[in-house]
Amino acid sequence: MIGLLILPAALLIILIFGTPLIRYIWLSFHASSVITGLVPIANKGANWQRLINDQRFWQDSFQTFRFAALSVSLELFIALAIALLLNQKWRGRNLVRAITLLPWALPTTVMALGWRWIFNTPYGPIELIVNLIGLDQFNILSNPNTAWLATVLGDVWKTTPFIALILLAGLQTIPQDLYEAFKLEGGSNKEALFKITIPMLKPYILLSILFRLAQAFGVFDLIQVMTGGGPAGSTESLAIYAYLNAMRFLDFGYSSTIMIGSFILIVFSSIFSIYLFNKFKNIQGYSR
Amino acid sequence: MTLILKNIGRRYGKSWVLRNLFLEIKDGECLALLGPSGCGKSTTLRLIAGLDIPDEGSIYINGRDLKNVSPSKRNIGMVFQSYALFPHLSIASNLTIGLKVRGATESEQHQKVSSILTLMKLEDLAYRKPAQLSGGQRQRVALARALLRDPEVYLLDEPMSNLDAQLRESLRPEIRSLILQGQKPVVYVTHDQQEAMAMANKIAVMQKGNVEQIGTPNELYNSPASIFVASFIGRPQINLLPPESGIIKGIRPEDIIINENGINSKIIYQEWLGSSKLIMLDTPIGELRMITSSNDQIPECPKISWDIKNEHRFELTTHKRLN
Repeated sequence: MIGLLILPAALLIILIFGTPLIRYIWLSFHASSVITGLVPIANKGANWQRLINDQRFWQDSFQTFRFAALSVSLELFIALAIALLLNQKWRGRNLVRAITLLPWALPTTVMALGWRWIFNTPYGPIELIVNLIGLDQFNILSNPNTAWLATVLGDVWKTTPFIALILLAGLQTIPQDLYEAFKLEGGSNKEALFKITIPMLKPYILLSILFRLAQAFGVFDLIQVMTGGGPAGSTESLAIYAYLNAMRFLDFGYSSTIMIGSFILIVFSSIFSIYLFNKFKNIQGYSR
Repeated sequence: MTLILKNIGRRYGKSWVLRNLFLEIKDGECLALLGPSGCGKSTTLRLIAGLDIPDEGSIYINGRDLKNVSPSKRNIGMVFQSYALFPHLSIASNLTIGLKVRGATESEQHQKVSSILTLMKLEDLAYRKPAQLSGGQRQRVALARALLRDPEVYLLDEPMSNLDAQLRESLRPEIRSLILQGQKPVVYVTHDQQEAMAMANKIAVMQKGNVEQIGTPNELYNSPASIFVASFIGRPQINLLPPESGIIKGIRPEDIIINENGINSKIIYQEWLGSSKLIMLDTPIGELRMITSSNDQIPECPKISWDIKNEHRFELTTHKRLN
């Protein structure tokens, strides 16, 4: 009976999420490009063969993981610091809370353009500062070793407020009397951070990791605007590679294969995150 | 050892929540701070613990001035109303964490925790999380943590207000013996006069940041210093008669007796309390509460009076006791 009642919602979800997924999986086993006149022709897994031997795909996977790992961990650290600060009582806290959230409210394209200009050589402010202190040109965005760090910086700047908000919500669920009890037990503030705050924030930290990892794996707009995947493909993410195949090379079959391939990678890392999350789920909520 | 509060004052903004507070609690003495919510009793406790700073006055434990002594260095064992157990830790870890931060050795930690678990009959729950415990069990853990601290002063903030009445009564003697065994000053905050009378050997009745009266439960009941104390202590409440030449008289319900030469009255309703019954009477001097044995046969319109020596007399304007 209950199964029948959830049927409409389940059908809707299958329609919206299931259909494109199945279509892409189907397409990944077909050649569908300008050569075939955009008519899908079954090619018995040739796309997958190509994907496994595709250096660029693996290089992009590495770059995407590198980008996600560094930006998510940086965001977590900075967000925790911000959340702890915003959880204290001080004058003007509400104003700072609002300001902190601004980067999150800005459209990615707009803020990515902003960062591109900040890093611009020779007109951007970074170069200006570098010149003022008498160093050579910096050229962050045109150096394959540093360009990805600039994209990480842009991502950290934009999404740290989001994590800070989740962690702040978590902090506010920790009752004040736990800290008071801990103090009376003889504990210091620093000990309270590691013995109470962080353990009790664990579910929130894992939730942010889950959210952000999935988001960072699919990064597209930020990189597309800041570097376009360059220089020398050093910032290219899987999403950009899939986009290029579909929109520039008009190879929809292979583009689908890349997407399903990266989808599998994301699912595996998400399952790993959920596994971590569940491991700590038995932390019971505080109740009186 | 003694805990002394000298001329303590605390204000929030311009309004004083506590003023001119003097308290002295000796070893083995349990002082209950009793009063309605907002009377300053919890503030007093927080000031002693160092979780709040007084604007006036000083607090001493054994002659040591606690000014500028952080809560973690005050050596105080406190039981919170919410118990404040760490929800992410097992019961054993909840008890160990304090010993750990105070720098006890591993074998010391193990030995102390297992002995307190035995004492409080908590061995079977050692590896459970607080959320898996009942209210009464959590209460015992909170108490065990305070005992384990081996403090110079015990503070108990409404420790039983989250328990049901039956459990509360059964825990009273246990808590009393455990805490008083320690031979340390105990401050017990409650808004339940019955609990205060059962637990404490001295009660301070507080109202609006002032101590109305300090005394033994007996003193408070038999010679309340003000109308507030008289009506706060004792259930059912004391009868207050209409003022007469600047005096308000109070008569406890159990002091009202049937007397052929007394004043006329009429029963409005009765409440059965088991061995006794509460009778609400309508009289020319207002409605009066009367307690009698439930076996007594009371006529529909009894004549009532009371012994003059059972009268409590209060001054009309100051509400202070006269006799």
